[in-house]
Amino acid sequence: MLEIKNLHAAVDGKEILKGLTLSIGAGEVHAIMGPNGSGKSTLSYVLAGRAGYDITEGSVIYDGEDLGAMAPEVRAAKGVFLAMQYPVEIPGVTTITFLKTALNAQRRQRGEPDLDAVGVLKLVRAKAKALNVSEEMLKRALNVGFSGGEKKRLEILQMALFEPRLAILDETDSGLDIDALRLVAEGVNSLRSPERAMLVITHYQRLLDYIVPDRIHVLAKGRIVAEGGKELALELEAKGYEHIVGQAA
Amino acid sequence: MTALSAIALSEARRAKAAALVRERGLPHRRIEEWKYSDLRAALGEAGIGAVVAEYLITNLPYGMDVWDLTRQDPPAWVTENFAGSTDNTMSAASLALADGGIALRVPAGTTLTDPLKLDFTGAGHVRALLVVEDGASLNLVEGVGPAEFRNVGFEIVLGKGARLEHLRICPALEDAVLVEEAAVRIAAGGVYRGHFTGFGARLSRMELEIALQGEGAQAHLSGVALLDGARHSDVTTHVTHAAGNTNSTQLFKHVAAAKGRAVYQGKVTVAQGANGSDSLQTAKALLLGETAEADLKPELEIFADDVKCAHGAAVGDLDVESLFYLRSRGIPQAQARRMLLQAFLEDAVAEIANIDNRELARTEVLTALEAVT
Repeated sequence: MLEIKNLHAAVDGKEILKGLTLSIGAGEVHAIMGPNGSGKSTLSYVLAGRAGYDITEGSVIYDGEDLGAMAPEVRAAKGVFLAMQYPVEIPGVTTITFLKTALNAQRRQRGEPDLDAVGVLKLVRAKAKALNVSEEMLKRALNVGFSGGEKKRLEILQMALFEPRLAILDETDSGLDIDALRLVAEGVNSLRSPERAMLVITHYQRLLDYIVPDRIHVLAKGRIVAEGGKELALELEAKGYEHIVGQAA
Repeated sequence: MTALSAIALSEARRAKAAALVRERGLPHRRIEEWKYSDLRAALGEAGIGAVVAEYLITNLPYGMDVWDLTRQDPPAWVTENFAGSTDNTMSAASLALADGGIALRVPAGTTLTDPLKLDFTGAGHVRALLVVEDGASLNLVEGVGPAEFRNVGFEIVLGKGARLEHLRICPALEDAVLVEEAAVRIAAGGVYRGHFTGFGARLSRMELEIALQGEGAQAHLSGVALLDGARHSDVTTHVTHAAGNTNSTQLFKHVAAAKGRAVYQGKVTVAQGANGSDSLQTAKALLLGETAEADLKPELEIFADDVKCAHGAAVGDLDVESLFYLRSRGIPQAQARRMLLQAFLEDAVAEIANIDNRELARTEVLTALEAVT
């Protein structure tokens, strides 16, 4: 589903990713682990198409198409979703209005009819309960005054609503206590399916106790330096990044 | 007696106003308060003649008194409240040159829910006087029609405990030069809420001279400017806290695209003895593009003790993080920009207390946003 080959990417002219190669098939959950500054967030922004994150070499192919050539909104409509590490606060736009606008914007791009307000509310309610997202939260301005846990739950609610084919979770565990982490992980796990691929980006092994990946890649200095099964996370936790990164170098 | 003397209510008053205008001439950019709105340059050769602008009442709620200012022998409520004199050049010009105008009154204790709809149209000068007597309340919706040049001198008098909700919407008028001075005097316990939505003109200046004259009087001013093309909008306010425990708030949000130019100048004066006064002043502008301009100038003058005054101004661009967030959720760029612009303007629109007025302003803003790129 996703084929990343020799990806080089620069942020504001500075090269951060230096030849990253990675392949994820439908139904698979992969994890990317790495120390701070290894390029984890850059990879997530490159995949979602943030301005200023430029592919300078190599390719990213999604379902046979060149992902790098698409506008962010086109990627979203084609099923790419990024759960962000720091969801943006937007005063003046209520959460429910935002969800409805986004949902219908994606549907329109795919040539599907708009859902009306009642239809959207029904859909949102059905998914919100399991993630403990209250009606009151939906009426508040988007992410404004939300706790860290509320913001992350809302990201996962969006994932449940948009039903992406490729979900990228960027440091979804950061800032969460153990109960919030469990809730978010359950939400993510319930969305695992044979048609959907997931890329879980994290600094700590903790999240991977709850979302167990099929494969783990270790990212350092813009490259994959180690790969393995879920046991690699435990090794990292025990020995630290220095050990693995040092071996690779 | 000519009609001209009837409007100024006395020849002496009229002559004095005319002398002030002759002495100062038309305001231009080297006069500090007119730095961002060069009226003399905008009018050029045409200048300001003694032409009559018109007023048009499109809805008059039952229970209001109306008096045409050209009529002889005005009633006491007109003579008692009509401007004695003014230090404002353009207000003096309308006093000296206006050949028509209107006086309106809500009698004491009368609550009117049906709105007064008053439009100013045509070119020239016009005077208007609105008196909301003690304990009365009114909703005023002011309309602005096209004109090469119009100067409106508006006086608003609020009695004790009186309430006025005032909405003025100025449509996009590419070729118009529009100047309006609203002088609002508020007695003890009176509450004035004024909202000014403007889409700009060749030159558009709305001046608000607010006097909180009685204990506990309040003024809440807000506004939105959305300027595309080469349109200009200037909101200049001067709020004077002349009595104790008075309260004023101001929230103005401006968006300028293309060669649009948004001006906000706001001065708050807390006079000696106006202790316990509270004032909050906020002006923000977003610039879409390199050729757009915003000038924000909040000012404070405090001569009293125990007052709470805060002011802030900020000029910025659309937030790139927010824009990316919305686009990453499938919302196309143009629509995402509109959403963020509407969100930016929304809190100023939300200041409008009357629901119908708020919906009216919101709809106008949304429609205008469709056209901004």
